[in-house]
Formats: sequence, C-alpha cells, structure tokens
Amino acid sequence: MAAKKSSSEGVLSRVSSTISESPIVYRGKRAASDAGFVAKKLLKSTGKAAWIAGTTFLILVVPLIIEMDREAQLNELELQQASLLGTPAVGVPQKYGSNGVKFKQKQNERKQQQHQLV
Amino acid sequence: MAALVPPPVSPAAAEAIKPEKVDYMDLPTPIPYEEIHREALMSLKPEHFEGMRVDFTKGLNQRFSLSHSIIMGPTEIPSQSAETIKIPTAHYEFGANFIDPKLMLFGRVLTDGRVNARVKCDLSENLSMKANAQLTSEPHMSHGMVNFDYKGTDYRAQFQLGNGALLGASYIQSVTPNLSLGGEVFWAGQHRKSGLGYAARYNTDKMVAAGQVASTGMVALSYVQKVSEKVSLASDLMYNYMSRDVTASFGYDYILRQCRLRGKIDSNGCTSAFLEERLNMGLNFILSAEIDHMKKDYKFGFGLTVGE
Repeated sequence: MAAKKSSSEGVLSRVSSTISESPIVYRGKRAASDAGFVAKKLLKSTGKAAWIAGTTFLILVVPLIIEMDREAQLNELELQQASLLGTPAVGVPQKYGSNGVKFKQKQNERKQQQHQLV
Repeated sequence: MAALVPPPVSPAAAEAIKPEKVDYMDLPTPIPYEEIHREALMSLKPEHFEGMRVDFTKGLNQRFSLSHSIIMGPTEIPSQSAETIKIPTAHYEFGANFIDPKLMLFGRVLTDGRVNARVKCDLSENLSMKANAQLTSEPHMSHGMVNFDYKGTDYRAQFQLGNGALLGASYIQSVTPNLSLGGEVFWAGQHRKSGLGYAARYNTDKMVAAGQVASTGMVALSYVQKVSEKVSLASDLMYNYMSRDVTASFGYDYILRQCRLRGKIDSNGCTSAFLEERLNMGLNFILSAEIDHMKKDYKFGFGLTVGE
C-alpha cells in the first residue's frame, strides 16, 4: 500500500510539477506580470496626464467660458432693452462700446505708464 | 500712417489701381526701444501675485493722488535646492502720485523699509528725462537710474545712466511705416561687462512681430495677432544661446466690457491666468492663478482695486 501511495503521490506530484514547471505556464506567468506592470504604469501616467490636463483646463478655459457667458448675457439684456425702449439698436452698443473702450483705454494707459517708467 | 493717396481712378480704369505710395520723408515716430515687446509683455506677463492684495487710490486733486496698498501672502525665497521656500509676509505700501502733462512724480514707501521713486519730466518738446530710484535698508541693494530720451521725427535716441557705473545708449529708427529697426549698447562698470543688441519690430493694424538679439546671449522673438477687437493672441520665444535655455509661451488676452482675462501656457510646464473684473465703477476684482506642473508650485491670489 505504501508503494501504491508513493507511486500515486509520485504520479500526482509529477503531473502537477510538470504542469507548473512547463514552459507554457512559465511564459504565461511572465506575460501576466509584464501585463500587470504595463497596466499599472499606463494607469499612473494616464492619471498624471488627466491631472495635468484637468487643472490646465480649469485655469485656462473655465474663466473664459464664464466671462464669455456673462458677455453674452449682457448683450442679450442690452438688445432686450433696446427693443423695449424703442431706441435703434445702433445707438445702444455704441454707448456701452465706449464704456468698454474707456475700460480698455484706462487699462492700456495704466500699463503704459507703468511700462514707461520702468 | 502717412501715405500719399493717388487721385481717384475712374471706373473704366479700375483694374490699374496703384498701391499707396509711401512718403519716406514722413514716417511715424517709432516705439521706444525698451517697449519693443510691449504688446507681447502686456498680454503674456501680467503681474501675478500670491495671497491677497488690496489697492486703494484716492485722488485729492486733478493731479495729485494718494494710494494705499496692503499685500499679504507667501513670498518666495530664492533657495539653492529644488524646493521652493515660501515665507508668509505682509506689508503696507503708501504712495503719492503727481501727474501733470509735463511732469510725473511717483513715490512709494513700504513697511519693510523700501522707498521707490520715479520721475518723468519733459524737458522740452522732444527731450524727456526719466529717473527711478529704489532705496532699501539692506546694504548695497539700492540703485538708481536716469534716462534721457530724444524723440526725433522718425527716430528715437536714448541715453541711460545708472549707479554702479551703468551706461547705456539705444537708437531706433522707422524704416518704413510698418518696420522699425534699432540697436543698443551698454556697459556695466561693476561687473565689467559690455553688450550690444539689435531689435526689429514690424507692425500692422492686425499684428505686431518683434525680435531682439543681445550679445549677452539672449534672443527674444514675439508675435501678437489681434484676432478681433476684443481678442488678441500672443506668442513669445526666448532663447539664450550661451546657456542653451529655451522658453516658448502662448497666451490669449480677452478684453471684454466687464473684464480683462489673460491666460498663458509655457513650455516650462507653467500655466497661468489673470482676471480683472469690474464689479462697479471704480471697483475692480483681481484673480491670479499660476500652476507650475514641473516644480509642483501652485500660486493663487485675489485682490481688490478701489479707485479710478
């Protein structure tokens, strides 16, 4: 019986070791670990790229969208007022346009002064 | 722009419209040499800050005004290591401005002991003088500089004198109504260095392109395109051929009715934005953001500017 056991164990252990040490399984394991390594790196670099893209978008684009939206709202309001009061549409934008030009001119003047005196 | 317009052409000969003739004796005065990159600087380099800033300007007179300013926030200390070291500081600045068509005086005093003074004076119709000085309580950090500018019909010449035996001269000439070329030469006595530089600027109604080369190894090129009345895009390249350092940056500048928004991205991985919003008459709200992805340095600031 001992001989039978040892031989059956021997067969089982031999079969399992053949399977676990076969070149196919070995290559499969290596491929899996490589794939895991690459996937981890990819995830990390995608995460980094997403972070950089997200924060850059937040800083550069979001204020722009907000401001353009406000400008569009202001334009709409003006148009409404112009049509309500019955003044021709040409008159009103000029008035606000001159305000905008004044703002820009003041900005430019201040910046020019600062730059001139450097 | 000065140009001789040809007499109106009859409709029959409309195919032979002559181009406008340029009068080379009547070119416009060029931009001063140090302002050659003015448009690009205005769009790409707003004054970013970190922390809180409140400026209050009160006009006492038509010409005289006082300004009070409070700045609180971390300031960077230059350090040898790669890390940035920031120390929170706060100071108050008091200033007085006198603005006259012929004479402008600006003075500023800070609580950390620095005094700034600027003078701009028109000595005659063509000759003007600018001076600025900064006094500090640290030894050997005070400096002053005087400039004399002469404005000719289509050229400008400038002579500069600074402490530490700094001498400089520059000259810029309008070559065509759109193109102006100039050169400068300087000598720094304290460091025994001298340098030569050339600059060129080409501008039309829609764009400005400027280039500058200096013998200190700096090459700076800039291009600003005015896409519409409210929007302009700017790009800038700075190359130091001694230290092989290149920096390119792109930015936009939106001037809307209620605000002015400037954004910029850099090849050093630095992106920044600066927003000035008009909340009310005489009240401006400022937001500044600067993110440096390489150094992982984040600076955000907000502020208020009160007064005209």
